[in-house]
This record gives sequence, C-alpha cells and structure tokens, in this order.
Amino acid sequence: MRFLPEGELAGLLAALSQEAEVWAPARRPNGVVEFQKWEPGTAVELAVLLARQAPKEMVFPQTETYLGYRYLMACPAVRPETPEEAKLELEGEGGEVVAVSPSVSHQLLVVEDVGGSSPTRADVAGVELPGTGARVIFGLRPCDARGFAQMDNVFGGYGGFYFDPYYNARREVTTLVAVACANPRSTCFCRAVGGSPSGTEAVDLLLTEVDGGFGAEAVSERGQRILDYAGFREARAEEEQAVAAAHARAEEAVEAPFELEGVRENLRANFEDARWHDLALRCISCGTCTYVCPSCYCFNINDEMVEGRGERFRCWDNCFNPGYTLETSGHNPRDAKAARFRNRFSHKFWYYPEKYDSLLCSGCGRCIMHCPTRIDIREVIRTMGAPAAELPARAEEE
Amino acid sequence: MVTNVYLPRPSRIVSVREEAQGIKTFTVRAPEGEPSWPRFAPGQFLEVTVFGVGEAPFSITSAPGSPGELELTVAAVGEVTEELHALAAGDVIGVRGPYGRGFPIGDMKGRRLLFVAGGIGLAPLRSLIGHVISERDDYGEISIYYGARNPSLLCFCEDLTAWESAPHIQVRVTVDSPDAAWQGPVGTVTSLLAKEGYEAGGATAFVCGPPVMIRHTLRVLLEMGFAPKDVITTLERRMECGVGKCGHCTVGKARVCVDGPVFSCAELLDLKEGL
Repeated sequence: MRFLPEGELAGLLAALSQEAEVWAPARRPNGVVEFQKWEPGTAVELAVLLARQAPKEMVFPQTETYLGYRYLMACPAVRPETPEEAKLELEGEGGEVVAVSPSVSHQLLVVEDVGGSSPTRADVAGVELPGTGARVIFGLRPCDARGFAQMDNVFGGYGGFYFDPYYNARREVTTLVAVACANPRSTCFCRAVGGSPSGTEAVDLLLTEVDGGFGAEAVSERGQRILDYAGFREARAEEEQAVAAAHARAEEAVEAPFELEGVRENLRANFEDARWHDLALRCISCGTCTYVCPSCYCFNINDEMVEGRGERFRCWDNCFNPGYTLETSGHNPRDAKAARFRNRFSHKFWYYPEKYDSLLCSGCGRCIMHCPTRIDIREVIRTMGAPAAELPARAEEE
Repeated sequence: MVTNVYLPRPSRIVSVREEAQGIKTFTVRAPEGEPSWPRFAPGQFLEVTVFGVGEAPFSITSAPGSPGELELTVAAVGEVTEELHALAAGDVIGVRGPYGRGFPIGDMKGRRLLFVAGGIGLAPLRSLIGHVISERDDYGEISIYYGARNPSLLCFCEDLTAWESAPHIQVRVTVDSPDAAWQGPVGTVTSLLAKEGYEAGGATAFVCGPPVMIRHTLRVLLEMGFAPKDVITTLERRMECGVGKCGHCTVGKARVCVDGPVFSCAELLDLKEGL
C-alpha cells in the first residue's frame, strides 16, 4: 500500500491537473458541496460524505446537443444568401453541413453538425466533444463510482447492443479516484446492494483517509500510474492497519436494511399488489430522485428552434413524469402514478438485473435525502421485495 | 470505426401517396451515398427526422426485397407527422435504422396465417403479408381481417383487392361506421373475427392496431384456442432513441425498440406490463 501525507494532497491534484481536468467536491459560496473543476487554491471538501449531485454529469451531461439547425434568411432584403453561401459560413464556424432540408415552413433549412461529435467522420476515438479531454474525478465515493459501472452496461453496448458515442467518448478518458467513506450516513445502504464504503467497482484508485494522510490502493493501471506521483511513499505498517480499521469501522456503520436475496422474484410476484398504490400516494412525481441518482440514465431527445437557429439535444428525463410514456395517439401505458412508481423500483431491482446481472442502484441514499415527501427506497424494497405472505397488513381498504 | 447511431442520415422522398383520410404513404430512397437500404425484416421500424421539427418512429410498410426504396405509412397526428405530411417528392428527411426485432419469419413456415389489423395497424403487417406472398408456397392458407372506424380510414385498399384475388387468401374488411356506399360487414374487426370464428390449430395469428384493439383481439384469440406463443403482435410505445438507451419505451424488462416491437402474447404475459 502507498501513502499520501495530508500535505501532499494539493500537490497531487496540481500534478494531475497538468495532464487532465480535475473535478473534485468543493463547497460553493451558498454552502452546497458539488463537484467543481479543481484549480490551485480550491479546497477539496471530503468531510461532507456526498456531494449533492453524483458526478454522473461529468460523463453524461444534463443536456447535450448533437445536431444544429439554421434557417437560410427567408427575406433577401434582410440578408441575401444562397444555400452554398450559408454552407460556407457554417463550415467556417466549425460545423459540418450534413443535410439541406426541404421547405419546412417555406424556408430552406441547413443542418450543421454542432455536436462536435463529427459523426459523419465516424471515428469515435477522434471525437471532440465539449469536455472529452482527459479527466480525473477526485473524491467521489465508491457508490458514485458504481453508478458509472451500472451506466456503462447500458451505454457501452453490453451484449452486442448499440454503442453510445457521446457517453463513451467521455467515459473512456475519465479516471475515478475514489475516497472511501469514513462516516457513512444513516441513509447509506451500499452494503444491502452488494457494495461497500470501501468498494472498488469502476474505481481506478482508492484513497482512505487516516490520521496524517491517505492510504492509496490502485485498482487499475490508470490508478497505478497516479501512484507514480512523487508525493506518495510506501505506507507504514501502522498506516496499513489504520486503513483496514477505517474500512472495518465504516463497513459496520452501514446498515443493511433489506435482504437482497429473493427481491427480484418477490417484486415479480407482488406486481399487482395494491401496496404499490399505498407507497406511491405521497409521491408528487417531481423526479428529484432520478436526477440525483448516480445510475439513472433515461434521457429525452428534443428539437428546439429559436429565431432561425435550433438544435437537437438530449437531456436527462424522469420516468415519474406522466409525459414520459405519453404517445402521440394519446395512449399512455403508465398513466397511473402507481404504475410509474412501480416501474422505477422494478427497473432498478428486477428489469435491469435480468438484463445486466447487476443492480441499478448503488445504495448512496441521495434519493432518500432529497425526496420532498420522504419516500424511502429502502422501505419500498423492504415492502414490495418481501414474499407476499410476509407483507405487512394493508391499511383498511375503502 | 464506430458510427454514431444518433445521427440521422439524409434521405430523399421519392413519392407521396394519399393512403386514407389523414394518412399518407411515403416512398423513401436509401440514405444519400448508399445504393440500398440495409436488409430489414418485416416489423422493423425507422426513426424519421423532419429537420428542425423532431423525430418519430414509423414501421416499414413495404416488404423487404426492393432494397433501393422503402415505404412508410404515416397518420398526421402530431407535430412531426403533420410537418412530414407537408413534404413532397424530392424533399429530404433524416433517417436512422432500421431498428428493432421483426416478425419471427423462421417460425411461420408451413403454418396457416391469420392477420388481424385495425386502422393504420395494417402498415407493419402489410410488410409481412407482402413477404409471405412472395414466398407463397411456404405457408398454408392466409386469412386477413381488417377494420377501420369508417371507410375513409381504410388503408391499402389496392393491396386488399389484390390479396383477395390471390389463391387461398381470404380477406374480410369491416368498418365501425359505414357510409351510404358501404356494403361490407359493420362492427369492430375483433367482433367480426369472433363471430366468424377461426380454427386455431396449426395457425399463427398476427395482430396490430390501437392498444385497446390489440388487447381485445388477443383475448378473443386465446379464447379461440390459440396458444399465447402463436399470437404475435407489435407494440406502440414512445420510442425516442430507438437503440435501447433512453428508457421511454420499456415494457417491464423489455425495451420495445430493441427487444420488440414484435412480441408474442406469451412474452407479453411474462412482461406483465404489456397488456
């Protein structure tokens, strides 16, 4: 095991930022701890266990544009131009015209590729997306890192399915330096979902805070390379013992509020159970749980035009929104709130696991912390994931 | 080299035909720079972009085998489809796909085939019917039940006439609300089928239409003695990305865009949410 004396932390971050953009949790003036771009002088905040948002947007931004539109000027008196002239101009701006559209609304439309994704050039390794230079996410927790592992399955094209060029362009150049949790919160339940406060899934380098500095264990080659930094030294025996003790202490501090075994089968068996309605009653479909979740990955694709320019973008979506499944015909398969509620938890503990042999939850507890109506995923799984015979009696039916 | 699955490729509309009231059929050439469409199976769909407006999925209605062009039948019901209806031959749209799992053609050989369609739901089945007719000897007798709300909403009338005159194909067409000229049966296609009956043994049934029609028809078919695995349908869901990522079209653990849109009734029963 290597050891990083406390005084070397800023030096390490400075060294890392020579070669990559470093993002680390830091306190904003309003008191909120969020992942921010680290610069010399930025104080890394590790005392707060979880940044408000998981760092998923480093790899999967809230909104991402991948097509741009521009109308030709319809009125020659204002700005005369031919399609060829407009093309030249757009290409001068760095866009690539991929199509000239028909007479929608009686104007000719030029489509440029502004995603920066150069899909027409079709070489994903050469993609230059905003933020696709090398990145280090420093100070995320093992549960946050697991969120990436879970999204990787979907976007990476696991099982021969489609590869997502945007997600992967960032993911491939992102190094995860996790810091083990010293003081788990009451809302933490990583152990119940197969994780650990010192877990290493998807982690490149794991640091553990002990007196005087950090124990450091490389999990991947990328992590190993970070250990080349001169500030690391070999850990002393008592430091190694302190790291092991810190891991054990944290492990013990995380409750396991439900037994994972049988949850999938029981969710299936309880699919029609009326308790879904009871649990969903106080949900206001705000979607906060999905936005703060390190593994929720649903997105929406939209086209928006403003004053002759526009774009196609994707943005995070939320399966609690009634419009999420609304079809143009008016048919809405999950019109009922209880059906949407059931879908989210079933997705995380039944549907996704059947496809990817992994859960879609890393037990960070952010959804519990931030739910405005105090819906608790642990309670939902404890209730609906239990054998039907053991379900608590239902409040009297109407 | 990895292609970007999200990028629509420009593709030209070759011709547009009025199919029924508010419904048009577009013949679309292979994407620019491509000599032909990728191989597709009946039941697969394309994501179509009207640039500046948006994108929507449409099942391919033509049979495979005419690789330079294919057909999409579209009802004008929303923003994208209304703008699409405003386009004409020569205009450019964006396309992605074909996507999805098509009909299980391999399992159909030698069987009698029953097609039950409502309204524009005949569009994906037409691709399959065209394919089956091109290999007519491989299948048993064919029955086609088709219904629409009224005669002006019946699609593919020329095809219906042509199919009817082919050997060993029975075509039954019904409308809910007849006009003065209508001489055929009146009522829903499901009730017509139930009334006339069908021998389920050795047959596979294919159902497509509005969700409520699918639900009733599946029930009727199961009552007739069809095994759930021999009843095949294709689902309508809100598909956005088309490639199994965005989450909108899930039915239980299945993503309609990649695991469907074609499902057997047995699969839907297992998915719980499907019916």
